[in-house]
Amino acid sequence: MSLRVVVNGRDQAVESGETLAALLERLGVGPRYALVERNGEPVERRRYEEVRLEDGDRLVVARPVAGG
Amino acid sequence: MAERDAFVVAGRAFGSRLLTGTGKYESFDAMRDALAASGSEIVTVAVRRIDLDSPDGDITAFLPAEVLLLPNTSGCETADEAVRTARLARAGGLPDWVKLEVIPDPRYLLPDPVETLRAAATLVEEGFTVLPYVLPDPVLQKKLEEVGCATVMPLAAPIGSGRGLKLRDAIRIMVEQAEVPLVVDAGLGAPSHAAEAMELGADAVLVNTAIARADDPVAMARAFRLAVEAGREAFVAGLIPEQDSAEASSPLTGAIHES
Repeated sequence: MSLRVVVNGRDQAVESGETLAALLERLGVGPRYALVERNGEPVERRRYEEVRLEDGDRLVVARPVAGG
Repeated sequence: MAERDAFVVAGRAFGSRLLTGTGKYESFDAMRDALAASGSEIVTVAVRRIDLDSPDGDITAFLPAEVLLLPNTSGCETADEAVRTARLARAGGLPDWVKLEVIPDPRYLLPDPVETLRAAATLVEEGFTVLPYVLPDPVLQKKLEEVGCATVMPLAAPIGSGRGLKLRDAIRIMVEQAEVPLVVDAGLGAPSHAAEAMELGADAVLVNTAIARADDPVAMARAFRLAVEAGREAFVAGLIPEQDSAEASSPLTGAIHES
């Protein structure tokens, strides 16, 4: 069964039971540097492997970039 | 240097008093080389949403493992936005240190003192080590110290302007009354500006544009490192007081023509 989530404002299909880490990998974003907010709450890095996405989840995926 | 004159922030000792930003370099390779030449041990990064169409490279792969990454809250215009950004960065594995910037004004990029103080209080409460970027305001400095900030970082001149210590007199008052390290951040365009800030008694300076946008960023990074060291040593050595009239360096008697 396919679920819908929103990543950085864009609709994204995910498989039922798919973990956050698996989605990041699929999006071409290494979990090593991805910073994630799920439904307005920051997600601890150590939980990326265990968080299973749910229908309607809203994710913000960010990372460190050059800045002063 | 680390042993005899360490720069201590929140109980952590650093050998270098030059903090650097990672923005505005032509490439990550150029950035890495300049950071190495600067000797910096604290390096700022920004936090932004990933463009999923072009995820690009990972800046952290170009930063030496031994430097402390200092995420900033640039792009935030309110305390709530800054707190949200800091929480996201920490949860995702960046250090729990944050360069707090709350900037509602796009033209001069001047920080909002009220929102900055509000965000600082919340973040300290949540266990962050907070380094706020502020206008040189000695009253605000005291309030930020009271809520538990680890440093206070007044700007010398607007970000990227390269104009040097335009607000020198206010910064001098802040140096005089500082109870946590004072870091002059933003607006330093030349190594002489950095040396001047250090001679004045600043504990450290933060430089980005002046190095990143130099014709030769590696050489400029080295020049800033030397200037910061020179300025610090001069401050510790004790500058002579200025006076209005001359005072001869050579003996006033026994000149050859005297009879």
